[in-house]
Amino acid sequence: MTKAEFLRSFDTILELPEGTLKGSEKLEDLENWNSMAMIDFIALADTNNNVKLSARQIGSAETVADLLQLAKVDQ
Amino acid sequence: MIANPLDLSSRTVLVTGASSGIGRECAILLSSLNARVVIVGRDESKLEETSLLLAGSGHRIEPFDFLATEKIASWVKRIAGEVGPLHGFVHAAGHQLVTPVRTLTLSALEEQMRLNLFSGIMLAQGFCQKGCFVRGGSIVFISSIMASLGKPAISAYCASKAGLLGFTRSLALELVREKIRVNCITPSIVESNMSSTLKDLMLPEQWTALEEAHPLGFGTPRDVANAAAFLLADTGRWITGTALVVDGGYSAQ
Repeated sequence: MTKAEFLRSFDTILELPEGTLKGSEKLEDLENWNSMAMIDFIALADTNNNVKLSARQIGSAETVADLLQLAKVDQ
Repeated sequence: MIANPLDLSSRTVLVTGASSGIGRECAILLSSLNARVVIVGRDESKLEETSLLLAGSGHRIEPFDFLATEKIASWVKRIAGEVGPLHGFVHAAGHQLVTPVRTLTLSALEEQMRLNLFSGIMLAQGFCQKGCFVRGGSIVFISSIMASLGKPAISAYCASKAGLLGFTRSLALELVREKIRVNCITPSIVESNMSSTLKDLMLPEQWTALEEAHPLGFGTPRDVANAAAFLLADTGRWITGTALVVDGGYSAQ
């Protein structure tokens, strides 16, 4: 999955209009970033990039770009 | 000397998911109760490890992937042809898919259903074939307390385990004529590979809260194996079509 595709999927997870996220956003500023969205992101990384992430790893991320890096998305 | 009511001498029991966790513990316990066990799992090397922990002799290793749903019935027929009719089976093989519905894919859903539900149904079909079972036998499915309760992000898993519960009830009535009892166990979280995976998906404080929601704490595979042995042995003689809750009090609240 490319960075653009990942961001689009993440837009959907966070119920944002497509094209909203760019990567620099702080997770704490995103209204729908919660434990369910975390699980969604973990599933997204597993299904599309075959990367298995833990909640602890996700919890260490501060920005959307950090998440993409954890999911090994080319940036 | 009082006979052990759980004794399974001269009975052959097939145990799936025997490479780890509940399945492995069931195989170990049943062998210690004098059953001959056929241990089944995907990973032959892990089954070899399980076999080293079994009591007695005459046990058998049968590697099998339950995603091959279409092959299950003929596979059971072959095994019964080689080891003789089975007294019963414990179906502990399974997988927990943790994915919210909005990111659930059809292929992941299908895999979940094949592993947790369809495999059990086809295993029962295979077992019911002429020459594959003995009258007075017993079938035990490992369902989950999540067959009756809910938690976010495991809806496909809950559906698969609820399906197994429904199947248990109907099959129990269908097999009365053959004097085969059919029951399932609905455990909550036991310490296993599956619970480790779940733990990784939760924040430490969430995991602690979940453990605290179990009045008796999390269980062990042996807690579930004990219930399986009880249902397989003559101790379960008057029990069929039911779900035995083994959950540390989780659902009592």
